[in-house]
Amino acid sequence: MTDFTAGSVAVRTRPRDLSALIPYFFILPAVAIMLAGLVYPVIQAFYLSFYDWKIGTEFSGAPYVGFGHFIRMLGDENVWESIWVTIRFGFWTISIEMFLGVSLALLLEKPIRGASVFRTIFILPLMVSPVVVGLIWRYLFDARIGWINYYLVQVGLEPQVWLGDADLAFFAIVFTDIWQWTPFIFIIVIAGLQALPSEVLEASKIDGANWWQHILFVKLPMIRSILMIALLMRLIDVFRALEVMYILTGGGPGRSTELLSLHIYNRAFDTQQLGYASAISVLLIVIVTTLSLGILRMGNPMKDKSDI
Amino acid sequence: MTLKLVKRLALGAGAALLASAAFANPYAKYEGTTIVVSWPALAHFNAAETLVEEFTEETGIEVEIDALQYLKLRDRQILEMSKNEGDYDVVSWVVMWKGEYVSKGLLTPLSQFFTSGSLVDPQYDIDDIAGAYLENGGVVGGKKGYMPGASGALYGVPFGAETSILAYRKDVFEEHGIEVPATYDDLTAAMTKLHAAGIPALTSRGKTGHQVTAAWLFHLAPMGGKIFDDAWNPVVNSPEAVKAAEFMRHVAKTGPLGIETFGFGEASAAFLQGDAAMHLDTLKIAAMSRNPKLSKIDGNVGYALHPTGSRCGSETGGFALGIPQNAPNKEAAFLFIQYMTSKAGDQRMVELGGDPIRISTLKNNTPGNPEYPVVAEQLPCADPDWRPLIPEWNEINIDVLGQALTQVITTDDPIQPIMDEANEKLRAIMEREGYYTWASYRKSN
Repeated sequence: MTDFTAGSVAVRTRPRDLSALIPYFFILPAVAIMLAGLVYPVIQAFYLSFYDWKIGTEFSGAPYVGFGHFIRMLGDENVWESIWVTIRFGFWTISIEMFLGVSLALLLEKPIRGASVFRTIFILPLMVSPVVVGLIWRYLFDARIGWINYYLVQVGLEPQVWLGDADLAFFAIVFTDIWQWTPFIFIIVIAGLQALPSEVLEASKIDGANWWQHILFVKLPMIRSILMIALLMRLIDVFRALEVMYILTGGGPGRSTELLSLHIYNRAFDTQQLGYASAISVLLIVIVTTLSLGILRMGNPMKDKSDI
Repeated sequence: MTLKLVKRLALGAGAALLASAAFANPYAKYEGTTIVVSWPALAHFNAAETLVEEFTEETGIEVEIDALQYLKLRDRQILEMSKNEGDYDVVSWVVMWKGEYVSKGLLTPLSQFFTSGSLVDPQYDIDDIAGAYLENGGVVGGKKGYMPGASGALYGVPFGAETSILAYRKDVFEEHGIEVPATYDDLTAAMTKLHAAGIPALTSRGKTGHQVTAAWLFHLAPMGGKIFDDAWNPVVNSPEAVKAAEFMRHVAKTGPLGIETFGFGEASAAFLQGDAAMHLDTLKIAAMSRNPKLSKIDGNVGYALHPTGSRCGSETGGFALGIPQNAPNKEAAFLFIQYMTSKAGDQRMVELGGDPIRISTLKNNTPGNPEYPVVAEQLPCADPDWRPLIPEWNEINIDVLGQALTQVITTDDPIQPIMDEANEKLRAIMEREGYYTWASYRKSN
C-alpha cells in the first residue's frame, strides 16, 4: 500500500517537473542573445566609464579615474543642453506624430475608394533607410540649391538658411522626424482598429453614440494598450535617434540640434573621449529605463496577461 | 664594315644593359604583393588612381584603395593602426592628425627606408619637395613638436598638400570695376561692394566644428594672430583673433546663402557654380575649376596671393602619405610612396589634374596652370605654425573653437566675450593635459 502510493506520486510528479522546465528551455536562446548582445555591452560601457581611454592606445595603459567622469558630467552644461534638446525634440515629434498618425488611421480605416493606395503612400517614408532620409532632407533644406528655398523664392518669399539657424534647424529635424515616423503610428493604430470586435462598435451605434463619441469613448479606449506601446517605442527611439540628425545638421549650428545620442557620438569619436562618452551613455540608459518603467506603470498593456 | 661592327656592339651592349637592369629591378622582390592604401575621396586622389594603375603595371605591385570622406579617415585609420596587424600599408592623413598618430606610436619613421640603398631611388631628390609641405605634412618633433627643427623626424611625404591662394571671378571683378585685393582692407572693401551690388562675395566654410574653425584660421595668421603663445598660453581672445572673428562675421553676411552649413565641398561648389565671386581657401580650387564636371566658370577665374594683414601668412594643410607601424608590407609601401611623389610621378599628377608638391614641377608647368606662379610665390609665406598640430588639437578645434565661431557667425552677440570664454576653455584643456606642469614646477622652485 505504502509502496503503491509512493510509486503513484513518482509517476505523477515526473512529467510535471519536465513540463515545468520546457518554457525555460525555449526562452534560453533569447536570453543568451540578450546577455551577449545587450547586457555585456552595457556592462562594458559602464566599465569603460571609469577609465580615460583614447582609441589607438593600449587599454591597459588607460588611467583609472573612478567616478571622475560622472562628476564631470553632472556639472557639464553641454550634457544638460543636449538632454534639453532631446526632451524638446521628443515632445514636439511624439505629440504631433501621435495626433497625425491616429487621425490618418481613423480616416483611412473605412473601406473607401483607393484606401490601399493611400496606405501604401503613407508607409513609404518608413521604408527609406535613415541615412537616405537624412540626405533627402538635407538637399531639400539646402539654402543655396534646395527645393524649399527655390519655391519660397518663386512665391516671393525670402530664402532661409534652414540648417544654419538654431531655431530653423530645430524645426527641420522635428519636421523630418514627423515625416519619417508618423507612418509608424499610422500602421500600428490602423492594425489595432481593424482588430476591434464589430459587436461593440455596433452596440455603441445602436445606443446612439455620435461620430465623436464613437471615437473618443469607444474606439480609442479600446486601442489604449496599442497606443501605449506605440508611444513607448517612439520615446525610446527619440533617445536613440542619431543617423538622420548626424547627416542633416551634425548637431549644429552650435549644439542646437545635438540630441543626447549625437552628443555621445561626437564626444566619443570627434574628440576621442571614450571614457567620458561611456559615462554619458550610462546616463542615457538610466533615463530611457526610467521613462519606460514609468510609462509601463501608467498603463501596462500586458497587466492582465502576466505579472510584468 | 666598321659601322656594322659598331652597331652590333652597341646593340649587344644595350641588350646587356637591359638584361642587367631587369635583373636588378628594385621592384622585382615585391612583384605580386598587394598593398592597401587608405586615402580620401577628393579630386586630387581620384585623379591619382590612374597613376596607381601605372604603378602596378610598371612594378607588379598590386594596390587596393580604400577611399573615404576625408574627415572620416581618422577613426578608421586609428582603429586599423592600433590592431596587432593592420590591413593598411599606406595611410594618408590630414596634416593636423600627425602629432596624434606619432604620439600614439602608430607610424613608422621613414628613416628606416631612406637609409636603405636598395629602396631609395638616387634621383628622388627630396629637397625638391616644397619645404613648407614636407615639414607640415611629414615632420614630427622639432620646435613645439610639429615645427621644423633639428629634433624633427620624418614620418610622411606630402601628397595632395596645399597652401591657400585667392581665386576670383575675373569677369565679375571687371564688370564692377573691382581691383584684385592685396590686403585684408582691400578684401573687406571688395566684399562690401559686391554685396551691395547683389553678388555673393566670398564663399567660405562655416559648418559647426572643424569647418568653421578652418575658415577662421585662414584669416587669423595674416592678421597676426595665433592660438597659443610660446608658453602654451591660449591667445584666441587677442585683438588680432577677435578681428579675424569679426571678419568671419562679415564673410557670412556678405557671402552666398548658407555659409553656416558649408563644409569644404559646399563652399567650393558655391564658387564653382557661379554663386560667389571669390574663394579664399586651398589651391585645389584651381584644378577643380578646370574640371567641367565640377565647374561652370572655367576660363573666368583669376588667381592672386592670399591677401596680407599685418603680415603674410597662408595655410599649410592637405595630406601626407606614411606607413603604419603595423603595416604588413612596409617596403612595398615605401616604394609606392616614392613612386607617387617622385619627379616623374609629380609631373604625371599635374597631367592627370592633381596638385604638385615639387618646386621643379611648379616651375616646369606654368603654361595651362595659371595658378602655379602664384603658388610658387605664395609658398615662402606658408606658415608652418598656422595651427598647432598637437594631439589635443582635435578637441580644441571641434569642441571649443568650432562652437565659439558658430556663435560668432550665426548671432549678433558681442565677439570679445565669446572669444574670452573660448580662451578659458582652451586653458582648461591644456591644464588637464599637463602643458603647464613645467611652468608651475619652475615657479615653485
